Amino acid sequence: MSDEEHHFESKADAGASKTYPQQAGTIRKNGYIVIKGRPCKVVEVSTSKTGKHGHAKCHFVAIDIFNGKKLEDIVPSSHNCDVPHVNRTDYQLIDISEDGFVSLLTENGNTKDDLRLPTDENLLTQIKDGFAEGKDLVVSVMSAMGEEQICALKDIGPK
Amino acid sequence: MQGFPGAMPDAGQLQSTLIAIERACSSIQMHMNPAEAEKIIISLRQSTMPYHTCRFILENSKMPNARFQAAGAIGDAAIREWGMLTDEDKKGLILFCLHYTMEHASAANAYVQLKVSAVAAQLVKRGWFDFVEAEKINILLEVKQAILGIHGSDVQFAGINFLESLVSEFSPGTSTAMGLPKDFHDQCHLSMELNYLKEFYCWAQSAAANAVDRIVGGYASASEEKVCSKALHFMFQILNWNFQKSSSALDYSNNKSNLASSGIRHDVVQLRKFERSLVEPGPLWHDALLSSGHTLWLLNFYATLRQKNSSDVLWFDFPLAVSARQLILQLCSLTGTIFPSDNGEMHIKHLIQILSAIIDWVEPPNIVPGTLRSGRSESEMVDGFHALLSMATLTSTMLFDNLLRSLRPFGTIHLLSALTCEVVQAHASKNDDEQTWTSEGLDILLEIWTVLLGRTGNEKKLSAESIASASNLFNTVVESHLKAAAESAFEDDSDADYFHVSVSKRDETLYAYALIARASIETTATFLTKLFTERFALLSQHNERWDPTQTLEELYWLLLITGHVLTDPGEGETVLVPEAIQDGFAGVSDELQHPVVVLSWSIINFARQSLDPEMRKMYFSPRLMEAIIWFLARWVDTYLMPIDATKGHLGTSGHDEEQQQDSQPSKRFLLSFAGQNQGQIILDIIVRISTSTLTSYPGENELQAFTCRKLLVALVRRRHVCLHLVALESWRDLARAFANERSLFSMNSRLQRSLAETLVSAASSYKDLEISNQYVRDLMGPMTAHLVDISNRNDLKAVAQHADAMYMVSCLLERLRGASRATQPRTQKSIFEMGYAVMSALLTLLELYKNQSTVVYLILKFAVDFVEGELAFLNAKETSILVNFCLRLLQIYSSNNIGKISLSLSTSLQSEAQAEKYKDLRALLQLLTNICSKDLVDFSSDSNEVGSTDIAEVIYVGLHIVTPLISLELLKYPKLSCDYFALVSHLLEVYPEKVAQLNKESFAHIIRTLDFGFQHQDADIVDKCLRAVNALASYQYKEKTAGKEGLGANAMSSEESNGEFQESILRYFLRLLLQLLLFHDFRMELAGSAADALLPLLLCEQDMYQRLVQEFLDKQSNPAIKTRLASAFSALTSTNQLSSSLDRPNRFKFRKNLQIFLTETSGITSII
Repeated sequence: MSDEEHHFESKADAGASKTYPQQAGTIRKNGYIVIKGRPCKVVEVSTSKTGKHGHAKCHFVAIDIFNGKKLEDIVPSSHNCDVPHVNRTDYQLIDISEDGFVSLLTENGNTKDDLRLPTDENLLTQIKDGFAEGKDLVVSVMSAMGEEQICALKDIGPK
Repeated sequence: MQGFPGAMPDAGQLQSTLIAIERACSSIQMHMNPAEAEKIIISLRQSTMPYHTCRFILENSKMPNARFQAAGAIGDAAIREWGMLTDEDKKGLILFCLHYTMEHASAANAYVQLKVSAVAAQLVKRGWFDFVEAEKINILLEVKQAILGIHGSDVQFAGINFLESLVSEFSPGTSTAMGLPKDFHDQCHLSMELNYLKEFYCWAQSAAANAVDRIVGGYASASEEKVCSKALHFMFQILNWNFQKSSSALDYSNNKSNLASSGIRHDVVQLRKFERSLVEPGPLWHDALLSSGHTLWLLNFYATLRQKNSSDVLWFDFPLAVSARQLILQLCSLTGTIFPSDNGEMHIKHLIQILSAIIDWVEPPNIVPGTLRSGRSESEMVDGFHALLSMATLTSTMLFDNLLRSLRPFGTIHLLSALTCEVVQAHASKNDDEQTWTSEGLDILLEIWTVLLGRTGNEKKLSAESIASASNLFNTVVESHLKAAAESAFEDDSDADYFHVSVSKRDETLYAYALIARASIETTATFLTKLFTERFALLSQHNERWDPTQTLEELYWLLLITGHVLTDPGEGETVLVPEAIQDGFAGVSDELQHPVVVLSWSIINFARQSLDPEMRKMYFSPRLMEAIIWFLARWVDTYLMPIDATKGHLGTSGHDEEQQQDSQPSKRFLLSFAGQNQGQIILDIIVRISTSTLTSYPGENELQAFTCRKLLVALVRRRHVCLHLVALESWRDLARAFANERSLFSMNSRLQRSLAETLVSAASSYKDLEISNQYVRDLMGPMTAHLVDISNRNDLKAVAQHADAMYMVSCLLERLRGASRATQPRTQKSIFEMGYAVMSALLTLLELYKNQSTVVYLILKFAVDFVEGELAFLNAKETSILVNFCLRLLQIYSSNNIGKISLSLSTSLQSEAQAEKYKDLRALLQLLTNICSKDLVDFSSDSNEVGSTDIAEVIYVGLHIVTPLISLELLKYPKLSCDYFALVSHLLEVYPEKVAQLNKESFAHIIRTLDFGFQHQDADIVDKCLRAVNALASYQYKEKTAGKEGLGANAMSSEESNGEFQESILRYFLRLLLQLLLFHDFRMELAGSAADALLPLLLCEQDMYQRLVQEFLDKQSNPAIKTRLASAFSALTSTNQLSSSLDRPNRFKFRKNLQIFLTETSGITSII
């Protein structure tokens, strides 16, 4: 098989686009999609036709992955939609500062200090309490289209 | 008070309870503090001997709701304390309830009286075998006198009401459980049927007869009319009784031929659909229902009333009219040995008698719909249809047709056809609103046609007149539907489709139409060809400006109906050319003239036009293509290189022609016109059409799904078709495009899975094993190479999370999964190579995509399908490779997911995440279950080889990994918990010795989940837990008697949540199980497995058991209960010569003992 044909276009270098075009008909429930400029997770897809003998169109119901707002869109199923690159990275938590920022340890040994604590009550208390008890915590940071947010937490426990 | 149990409380106490209950009832009604109020009412229901109090409330309370509650309390308490009441008490309670309903017969709030009479019925049933016959008769005599009208019509009504409750209490479907075994209910059912049912019917009949005279005379009061309709309804209820056939099992074999020739059918069991059943009361009922002229009396009564009220459009829905019609319908459904064996004469006479009456309900066909439109209720017409359905079910098609001939110059089928024409037309024209009757009526009529025409052989023979009627009807059907199709062509919303609620409903209707068409296939096939060709021609004549939409929709509908006429749905069976089509066309002598051949070719040629891009763009809309693909899929199954069922070999042209000489030529044409030569050409056309729908209709998921899941699957289903398929250039092109080109990646990934499955399936047709495997390698090799490439990229970490990379990985995984689902013995080798090649890549990807649930899920599902397909074939070395891979997979999954808390701003995203986790876990459990199956099914050649993997070992390692992920929260998902407990109970039953080897934590976890399972609502899950505990305890007992360690240290771990006292696992379960049996509303259907689990437990823990029993007894304050409980306990372990072994007979004895124990104690203890 020819390599060029099958290889995807993404390159690892910086400045790669934040989204990728994908045919609407291939986007499934639980996939990601950009609606009104926001990265979303699809929670419902239904199809209908424009007139009985017209072409199919997809009706997406999706939820903004950062603010939880519900968004909807209708796209002809043969057209392309933007799909966001959604990344999740794990960091070890090293500090929580007074002003609500966290300090995280990156893989290459640097620190990352530009993230705020999550607004979610439950996760917030888990992080704060866990940190106060001296547990080793790893947080997952979700990033897409230039936005970042802590979305999950794991206790890797004292060894 | 004589015959009233319990001590009489003093007046003040009675009064205060009354006030408390009244207050509670009113506060429930106003929704003020309902929990508190409920508590008060429940305390009344659960108190000991509340009878005097309840009676006081019933007699003195002004509040109907309070009286209602009091009646319920009497029922609850009496059932619970039944064993402690004397016979006098029991009778006193029943008579009190009965008299109460009679005395208050005319009072308002009928629901209170209804409840009291239901309670009386319940108590009568509970004591059915306690009372001597004379006592029962005494009670029933009183009722009889009431019903016969001695005390006036209100009491008459109350009497019938009581019998109605009694009969419904004795029917299995509507009876109250009362904590008694099924056996008891069955005996009651039988006793009622043999001794009383007919008598009740006669009482009701005479009550109705008295009233009828007065009603016909016109001087009946309203309450008399009420009694009459109640009595008729009660008779209807009795005829709905589920008669035991045992009494009526007369010998059919002697007179079978006579009966068959008469046309009365005896093989029918029930009326399909519409929740009605045939009535088979047996010969005892002959005098009551048939010889006494009962039917005629009823028919005349209805006819007279109908005459009198003909001007009243509302009369048809009056209770009296409705009950009378219901009873007539029931009489119409009579069958079985109630009719003497006189060659069906009496039965036929009976049917004609009813038909002559109900004919007025539906005739004349063209008038009835008109009168309905003018506001008359349709109920009478619908009932008429139901009666016709009963008759059609009970008679052969010929006899059904002849029934009407003594009354009219034409047959019944002619009438039926005329009726159906009217209803179809009314149904298809959308002008009238609110025409639910058309769809209801059409449903029944089509069911009649299905019954009449869906039979085989001689039974469905039709007269020439009937065939003409059917042909006529089919023309009307097609025309009205085409008209409706054209009118609806521009409608936007697909939900508002003019006819169908759903596809299956639509298919059912079309199937019935198809049967009608096949009844006159010689004319209808030509008719359909004509309609199709006309519309096809219309398309080619017109220019671009013409809007073809209406014609497209007509074609769409024609394709659907033609598909149904020419083919049967099949669904997993070998599909044959429909009998009617095989047998018809006797005069056809040229293959190319055969109407079915002509029709098939005209559709195939039409479909071929879609290969022309111009034509495709203009005319072949996705919807039309869907119908074409659907049609082709069914047609391929039936006509393409068919198997001649009568001969059992391929019906091909060429050498076996001599053998087919004897069958008629028209049949031969059908089997050969798409045989090998023509068949290949058609196959080629179909493959090219399929490829074009996959590539030229981007984003049309539905169409592509039809192609992948229906049409292509049909092509590879039969091996001899497949053989030709893989030789076709067009098929190889499709396979090449799939393996090497990008275009098919733009299909929905799920469809790529189906496509891979189909393509791989085709490999099994090669004769040579190596070629089969090479074909699979060529097909899947590029996929595995590509996946490995991706996992080896240096920049993988950076690129992997990009949407396009993820999409590509998902597509590849789906394809691999599709291929593994198509594993067959012939291709097993190459599929294993495929899986082996990607194993390490998959582990890398699982680690990399740990946060992308969709990819993780696909990897797990691939493993599930791969293991399921392959494991049975693998030798020891391969097995250990696969099993190690699965364990690595489980470990990675588990290390990434244990202890992880993910939260999100949005609750719906949160629940999505939860649902994903649940799906993952189900996949993991399925994986383990599939691995388990290696122990049961093993096809590998060297299963005895030394060093083979111990599957049990693997499962337990797997369970170690998976159990911590399963939280009690997740076990609330029914499917997951079902899978989980099935796995656990299977493991404990098959490998109990491995339990001891589990580490403490995992063992405790399994025990904890079992504990949870015990409280589960689902009886199935509780059953599985019981089986698991049985296995555990039996193992321990056997080990201990053999002097071994058994569960060892694990048995000692504590499970008490407070952790205060250590007790062994088995002791814990013993306590739990006893509590379950005594204090919870234990379900009798679980008694068997409960006994199986309890026996080894109490054998293991004799001392503990004795202690527990003593504990329960000590808690009893009531001495009467205490003695009963104590004797029940001692009977449980000492009767029936129970020994201390776990063999089958002993377990069986114990099951019996426990059943008796449960019957004895049920209820007593729930008040403790």
